[in-house]
This record gives sequence, C-alpha cells and structure tokens, in this order.
Amino acid sequence: MSIFKARVKEFEDLFAQDVIDIKELRRNVNNGVPDVLSFRALSWKMLLGYLGPNRIHWATTLAKKRALYKQFIMELVLPPGHTQNGEDNSDDESRGVGLQDHPLSEGPESAWNTFFNDNEFLLQIDKDVRRLCPDISFFQQPTEYPCEVVVHSKGEQGRRLHERVVPSVLSSANVERKGLGVTKINLITKRSAENYAAMEEGQEAHWEVVQRILFIYAKLNPGQGYVQGMNEIVGPIYYVMASDPDLSNRAHAEADCFFCFTALMSEIRDFFIKTLDDAEGGIKCMMSRLENMLKAKDISIYNHLKSQELHPQYYSFRWINLLLSQEFPLPDVLRIWDSVFSDEKRFDFLIKVCCSMILIQREAILENDFASNVKLLQNYPPIDINVVLTHAVSLA
Amino acid sequence: MAKKTYDLLFKLLLIGDSGVGKTCILFRFSDDAFTSTFISTIGIDFKIKTVELRGKKIKLQIWDTAGQERFHTITTSYYRGAMGIMLVYDITNEKSFENIVKWLRNIDEHANEDVEKMILGNKCDMTDKRVVNKERGEAIAREHSIRFMETSAKSNINIERAFCELAEAILDKTAGRESAENPERVVIDRGNSDKAPGYNKCCA
Repeated sequence: MSIFKARVKEFEDLFAQDVIDIKELRRNVNNGVPDVLSFRALSWKMLLGYLGPNRIHWATTLAKKRALYKQFIMELVLPPGHTQNGEDNSDDESRGVGLQDHPLSEGPESAWNTFFNDNEFLLQIDKDVRRLCPDISFFQQPTEYPCEVVVHSKGEQGRRLHERVVPSVLSSANVERKGLGVTKINLITKRSAENYAAMEEGQEAHWEVVQRILFIYAKLNPGQGYVQGMNEIVGPIYYVMASDPDLSNRAHAEADCFFCFTALMSEIRDFFIKTLDDAEGGIKCMMSRLENMLKAKDISIYNHLKSQELHPQYYSFRWINLLLSQEFPLPDVLRIWDSVFSDEKRFDFLIKVCCSMILIQREAILENDFASNVKLLQNYPPIDINVVLTHAVSLA
Repeated sequence: MAKKTYDLLFKLLLIGDSGVGKTCILFRFSDDAFTSTFISTIGIDFKIKTVELRGKKIKLQIWDTAGQERFHTITTSYYRGAMGIMLVYDITNEKSFENIVKWLRNIDEHANEDVEKMILGNKCDMTDKRVVNKERGEAIAREHSIRFMETSAKSNINIERAFCELAEAILDKTAGRESAENPERVVIDRGNSDKAPGYNKCCA
C-alpha cells in the first residue's frame, strides 16, 4: 500500500469511530490531511471545536448551528422592515421596526439608522473581499449554494451587502449644447468594477458569501468590528468548507465557516486589537517571542538583522497576524494550518514555523544587505512547505 | 555585502486611507505595471527603486503602509525615519479626502519636523466617478504649503513625476546643507508615459 493510501486509510478508520479519539486526530492531521473526501473540513471543524468527538451528536449540532446562522442573516443582513412569515417572535429590540421608523429617521433606536451606520465598516469589508486571493479564480466564481433570501431580492435593494456600499451601475448622458441649438447627447454607460460584476438574480459569487460572514461577525462583535486581515483568515476556512466533496456539507459551507472562523478568532482576536498590541497574546508580544526564539537558535542571524535595524515588525507582523496566509500559495497555507490547528500549543508552533522560515534562509540573510533581506522576508521564496514544517517540528 | 551602487539613500513613506491605491502607485513606479487585484496591505511593505537626479544616483527606499486605523501603532513607527511622505487620497472617495487632515496631524505627531510632504489625489482617470475636484486638493495643499498632484496608477499619470519631485525636494534640502549654492535645476526625466493622452485631460 502506498504511503498516501495508508494515510487515507488512517483517516477513514479514524472517522469511522463512534467517538473520535482527539489525540489520534491531532497526530494524523499534524502530518497533513490528504486532499480527499471531507477529511480536512471535518478535521478542522473538530480541531476548532465546532464539532465534538461524539459522532452521534453531529447532526443535531450542525442543524442547530445552521438554523442559528440563518437567523443571523434574517436579523442582521436583511434590510429593516423585512418580515419573515411571522416566524420571528424574538425580543430583539434593535430590529423592532415600529410605525415611527423609516429610512430618514435619525433616532438612536431607529433600525434604519443602524442600517446606514453599518455601511462604514461594510465598505472596508467590501474593498477587502474583492481582493481576496486574486491569484485563484475561486472567489470570483458563483457558488452552487447561494443564500436564497439574499439572491432572490424581488427587486428590493440592499439584500446583497455590496449593493449598499457600491452604487449600482447607472447609465448617464452628457448633454452638450453647441451653437445653433444642436444638442449632442453622449451616452455613457458605466462599467462596474471589472471582474467583479454583480451576479444575476438567483446567483452570488463566493466573495459575496465571505462578505456576509465577515459582516455578521462584525455585527456580533461590535467591540472589535471588522479589521483588515480577517478576510485572509476567513478565506482559507471558507475555501475548505465550500469545496467539501460531501455536498450535504458543502451546501452549508457559509454557516459552518462562520462558526469555525468565530472559534479561531476567539483565539487570535488579540492580534487584531490595537489596544492589546503590547498585552500578552497581543501582536507585539508574539513578535518578540519570535525574536527571542531566533536569538536562542541562531545568534548570528539575530545579530545580523539587529545590526541592519531590520526589525521583526517589518516582516513578522503580517506572518503572525494572518497565520502565514499571505506568504504561501493556498494549498501550502492549508497544509500549514493542518499543523497549526492540530498542535495543542497552536501559536507556539506558528512561531516555530516563522522561526524556521528565517533559519532556512540563513546563508542568504547573512550575505544580504538590508533591502535584500526585507525583500526576502516580505516575499518569501518558493519552497517545499514540508521542508519548513519538518524544520519547525525539529525546533525544541 | 553588496557594493554601494548609489550616492544617496532616501526613505519615503506612503500613507492614506485604505483602498486609495497606495500599493498600486508604488507598483506602477517600481515595476511600471498596473493590476487592480492587489491584496490589502497588512502592516508594511517595501520597494526599492534607484533614480538619477542631477547626476546623482539616488536609491529610493519606499515603505507602503496599511491604511486602516488598526495598523497605526505599527505604521507610525516608520514615520520617524522617513525623509519624504506621500499622502494619498482617492478622488472618487470623499471620505479619503476629508481624512487628509487627520493624516497630516499624524505626520505632525510622528514624523521629523523637516520631512518633505506631498499630497496625491489618485485615480484621476476615473473622471465619471470623481467626487473631489482638483481645486479642493490644491486648496488643502496650499493651506498647508505642501506639493500637490493628481495621479493615476492605472493610466500612469504623474506617478514617476510625483516620486521624482519629492526626491528632488529632499535633494534640495540635502544639497542645501552641503553648499548654500544651488546649481541651476536640472530638468528631470519625466518619461514618455507621463505625456500620455490622459495627462493633459486630468492633470494639466
């Protein structure tokens, strides 16, 4: 049996158990999840705590969470005043759209007022999701499982979130009057942002789904809101869920991704909060942990970078903040995340990976001047990702 | 260590709201190309380009920053070492223009007092979406005695010129320290691309 087949078999056996042995799961995933069946999606759901080890509970958990997510869409995404067949009897006061409320109301209680205030962070999300993973076409493709209440708008504007912040395409005309009363009309048809043309009624692109996930996350976590970079965290998770070969799961990629993303964010949210930069678990603290590890492992590289005044934040801010998602091609990012998620000390391992990335480039770094080193570390050269991971595992 | 292939090293910084096109401006300048599909900048990015001004080889070390408020504690630490700062807004985005004042305050707080500044109104090719007219850009620049230019990274309008003028202003300052006498100005090479048809329309 080939090594690959043996690994597939390991996963098959693992997921055939009624109660899945988490230790075994961690051990298996740590070596990389084979790209077959739902192995990666399932593994990540479990490692991120979305699904428990007991397989009989999965169906109930998933049904409950997916229903909850649907409710979030109803309450947070659809424009105020939208009625949903009387099924909403919740006492959520902020959505209560009374007779007094209307789009021009400026009252603090006005659901419409909130609706318009949301547009500020929505605009930022919109800019970022449109530029998510531009090197692959996946996010520009229509999803086979669009959100029905959103894409069947029946003419109502604002269900698609980006419609709220990007004015729809209008055609306008320039009217020029020339002498003798000749009127010249130049019809100008504006093109909407290239490549990201809105999908037809009934369809939506994957990036629109990601936009909704981030929007709902920001609405539910108002203290934190949306911070750039979250798009790069949600992207790979969504990709895994939305390419799950098991269609009954793929159909719920959006909801499942939302909860996995939320779980992951609960561990790394401090990276995204400015006031926690210096706190333990904040991004500066993580960067100095990397620096200290580098110092302990290879003092000459450390000294060299120090003498060039090449501070860790020049490169490692992004590395750590985005869990390396911008440094490598997507398949490699998935492989790194397998190892990071399955490690019990997740972010310690992440630091080790970062440290290995530097150590592996030892010769070049010691040779290079400041500028070449910044370039090297900001645009990490192509490499077999398993070399980096194996190196990281070897770091004590 | 590589041999020193330049006479002077200038450190420049690009700041401004998210999405105004800082990365595209820098990419146009350093690689003479344009793509609308840049991922958002997280933290800080870096490019090098060597230009020749008045017979001197000047290495420009240009730092490109993330625009969102969250990154300010990280990005403001770069202000101190900068000799020139380009402050970019988007002529199709009112808010990015209003925030110029905020960015200027940031410079006052964190940068060297004698840092050379320049305001760029980017995306000037998008005439049909313009909401900030050129006069307003000029007015705010005049008010703060800062150079101003409208640019388009996409149509390659004024990009090279902006960097060269900023570099030249820094050179003036540096040269001024060496000798009070300033030789007659050498006309910088603006490249043919700056004379593209769009040039007159948007930026003349």
